[in-house]
Amino acid sequence: MASAGDVRDMLDLPAEGQPRPHKKQKVVEKRPEGITRELYALLGERAPPIAINENKYKGRPKWMNKLRVRPWSMAPFTNSARSDGLVLNHWQRKHESARPPVTAPAPDESQMDVDQPKEEEKDETPKTAEHDYAFAKYNIKPRLPRRYTDEEYERNLKNDDWSREETDYLVDLVSEYDIRWVIVADRYDFQPNLETEPDGNALVPAKQNRTMEQMKARYYYVAATMLSIEHPPSEMSEAEFELHERMLKFDPNRERDRKDLAALQINRTADEVREEAMLLEELKRITSNEQNFITERRELYSRLEVPISVGNTTMYQSSAGLSQLLQTLLQADKSKKRRSILGDGAVPSPAGQTPNATGSAGRAETPVTQAANHKKGSTASKETHQAVRTLTPAEEAKFGVTHHERVSAGVQFRSDRAQRLTQAKSNVQTQKLANALAELEIPVRLFMPTERVCKDFEKLIQSVNMLLDARKVSEKVESEIRVLEAAKFERERKAREAAGLPALPRPEVKTEADDGDTGISASHPGDPPAAPDSSAQAGHGQPDVAQETSNGGDGTHKRSASVLSATSESNKRQRR
Amino acid sequence: MNPSNPPQAAEYGGDEVSAIVLDPGYSTTRAGFAGEDAPKSLIPTYYGKYNADGQEKIVYGDDVFVTPRPGLSVHNPLNKDGIVEDWDMAERVWEHSFMSRLTGTKAGNPFQNGLNDIANDELPAEMEVESDEKPLSDSPLLMTEPGWNPAKAREKTIEIAMEKWDTPAFYLARTGVLASFASGKASALVIDIGASNISITPIHDGMILKRGVQHSPLGGDYISSQISALFKANSPQPITITPHYLISSKTAVEAGQAPQAKYKTFPADKAPDASYRALLEERTLAEFKECVVQVWPGPTRLSAPGPNGIPNEDMARTYPGRPFEFPDGYNQVFGVDRFRVVESLFDAKAAVPDPESPFPPPTPAQTIPELVKASLAGVDVDLRPHLLANVVVTGGSSLLYGFTERLNHELMQMFPGPRVRVTAAGNTSERRFGSWIGGSILASLGTFHQMWISKKEYEEHGPNIVEKRCK
Repeated sequence: MASAGDVRDMLDLPAEGQPRPHKKQKVVEKRPEGITRELYALLGERAPPIAINENKYKGRPKWMNKLRVRPWSMAPFTNSARSDGLVLNHWQRKHESARPPVTAPAPDESQMDVDQPKEEEKDETPKTAEHDYAFAKYNIKPRLPRRYTDEEYERNLKNDDWSREETDYLVDLVSEYDIRWVIVADRYDFQPNLETEPDGNALVPAKQNRTMEQMKARYYYVAATMLSIEHPPSEMSEAEFELHERMLKFDPNRERDRKDLAALQINRTADEVREEAMLLEELKRITSNEQNFITERRELYSRLEVPISVGNTTMYQSSAGLSQLLQTLLQADKSKKRRSILGDGAVPSPAGQTPNATGSAGRAETPVTQAANHKKGSTASKETHQAVRTLTPAEEAKFGVTHHERVSAGVQFRSDRAQRLTQAKSNVQTQKLANALAELEIPVRLFMPTERVCKDFEKLIQSVNMLLDARKVSEKVESEIRVLEAAKFERERKAREAAGLPALPRPEVKTEADDGDTGISASHPGDPPAAPDSSAQAGHGQPDVAQETSNGGDGTHKRSASVLSATSESNKRQRR
Repeated sequence: MNPSNPPQAAEYGGDEVSAIVLDPGYSTTRAGFAGEDAPKSLIPTYYGKYNADGQEKIVYGDDVFVTPRPGLSVHNPLNKDGIVEDWDMAERVWEHSFMSRLTGTKAGNPFQNGLNDIANDELPAEMEVESDEKPLSDSPLLMTEPGWNPAKAREKTIEIAMEKWDTPAFYLARTGVLASFASGKASALVIDIGASNISITPIHDGMILKRGVQHSPLGGDYISSQISALFKANSPQPITITPHYLISSKTAVEAGQAPQAKYKTFPADKAPDASYRALLEERTLAEFKECVVQVWPGPTRLSAPGPNGIPNEDMARTYPGRPFEFPDGYNQVFGVDRFRVVESLFDAKAAVPDPESPFPPPTPAQTIPELVKASLAGVDVDLRPHLLANVVVTGGSSLLYGFTERLNHELMQMFPGPRVRVTAAGNTSERRFGSWIGGSILASLGTFHQMWISKKEYEEHGPNIVEKRCK
């Protein structure tokens, strides 16, 4: 038969996790006193819910009776914090030592003590007087500087504003209230002694209301002076010197201004308080978001710095293509366990939040565009839309407002458009463009793809393209010339042979004529002497051809052409 | 806790010297031993005076209410400001407050109480000396006073305590300070709503700031006068209060119906004075205040429109009324009126007009919010936020239903910036006896015993010492 342990084993339970539940024991209630056994048996197992046993006074437990009663007595005491020796009485536990030696331990000894307190009190009294009253140690006073003497006052502390009497009064008050300035200022009520003026007609000086700052300034000055008289500043301890400095530097005006501000602060209206609370809330939100911003921006930058694929993006222009891209990106994100692109896209970029951001997306511009359309539409609608502010061209430039003829659906990056320009139909052409840009030290991905930069970039790419076309044409023409020259040479040779002259060495241009249209890079790599030659020829011939094709293009074209040729040369070298 | 163990001195700091704390108010006088949680002796400050057998007799304590003796007139030794006017009677009433319950009357001469048989020749002579013993000769006495008590009254108080009662040590403390101690604060703004006065006392470090002390007469008695005015203008019929002593029997009547009661009549020569009737009417009014009167909880005034456009008064009308039965059996349900009688504590314009009232119509400066404002204007700016965060409400009339809530709203509206925190003891007796309890705490502290003015010091410096010591 399986035991509980076996079952536990089978069920993978901890061996002795919980103790086995006890078997229900029959609770045998004790038969209360005052009920006969027979009657109790009749009640059955469940006793009626009536308390049969009455509560009895329990008294103190037995073991307590063995303890000796420790008597208390009403004892007089004096307080050393008082000067008048007032004697008060309080209950005090009698000291064991003060107890007279017990001759015979009788059971009712404690009783005796209580009955005869008077005799013991006499023993007690001198005892309590010996040690100090427990609460006297709390009687403390702050340390105040020494009081000035008459001479010291005359020499150091004279002041037009403060008479000697008033200074005395102030110093008295401060020491009386333990430098609690609030109370000193509250109770300050100096009555100038009028008896000093025997002249009844003399104007009674108007009792001036001293402010707490005035009192503080005066008292600190007096205290600092007294401190420096006691110890010259050179001999002061660090703490003393600090105190001295602080007291000397007290500025009542500044303190008064501070209090005025505090009063303003406390008397704010409900609206002001609400506004302040709102601003504080906003500030809290901003500071808490700042960190998020920083991390997100960093992530965005790191994403932008990923090497750009030079592949064609046309496949992503359609919605199907986009969704496919999204899928692949999501997949990549999942595997990388990074934040999804959607999440990043949902958070507004920091640039997008600044009001004069030029790179605002198409959606943000729509209201302005609509307004512009209305403006064109009719004067009536113009009047109705007076609320929409029309911008002068200067302002438009300032705020980066642009009007688009045709706004394509969805979001697109301006830099993307610029990027697309660098992608030509053939890889060779793309490579050439990239080379040209590298030559001009223009990064393939624009650093600051603003509107204007993009436009200029577009222009640049166009001219580079044009240049490349021109060169292509010129090379074609050149190779044709060469072929024709070769044919001419052949003819002349034949003519000479026919005339009996020795044959001239044959130039190596014949093969070039076959693949001449592929351009410079396709010129014969396996022919070292020919390459510089051809490039030199190109260099010589280029200006003319460019002039021909671009209808007298300006100097930049010429320069860039020469640069390009150099590039192509270096390019060739690299290939080799 | 085992009563045989003394409390730890460090956690409690107490050292009881069997001091007596006496807290005389306008309506009641409280006395008890320091260290206890409630005054043992609570008597009305009113006393009765009547002539019997050609002698003037005086009734103290609760006995005043009991018997309508012929010609019994009721007086109060204090004036409406809570300052003692009649010093002789004040002394006797105060003496009664502690003699009746605390110190007890001294045992008479054991030879004369009829319990001892003495031979005639043994009658000792020194018994004469003992009969001269004064009531407080072995208990220090802590007394309270309002914050605006004049110096002369303070000196007179210590004179009585030292010379008439022979107390070994004496101290005079402000009620505001003690009330703030009772709620465990050394700095607080105490709002005390008493019977004759409401007072605002700013306290810093256990000392009152005199320039911030404000008081006005809009206390419990004023509320009673407002209720009386309301009864006079009651709509089905004006209500007159007939005190219990004038009613021999009554039968129950429907609400609003005329009372059916048999009245007692006193012939002119047997009737008590009108002041007696006024005192007993006041008891009914007190009951009315406890059962019916309610403070409009706010946050705006009763006369103002409420938060959702409904005027507060209409809102108050929708609340269920509260019934009250008068001693003669007349009963009525009180609706919005029960809010009106106390509204003038916060809004002077809301006072129920009554030309016959002993109280002039309140001025706006007498209302509680204005008093608090004036009080705070009298203290240093740096202290104000701290005081507002420690507002202590005490006094029997502050037990009006909804009072602290309304006070809180009023203060928050007046000072939206700083944190306002109103502390009010939830316990009725702690609220009524706030200043007494504070005194009980103070006088039982070990550190306080250096503050007492001892008899010796009094004899050296004279009564003027109270100004120097009880600051």
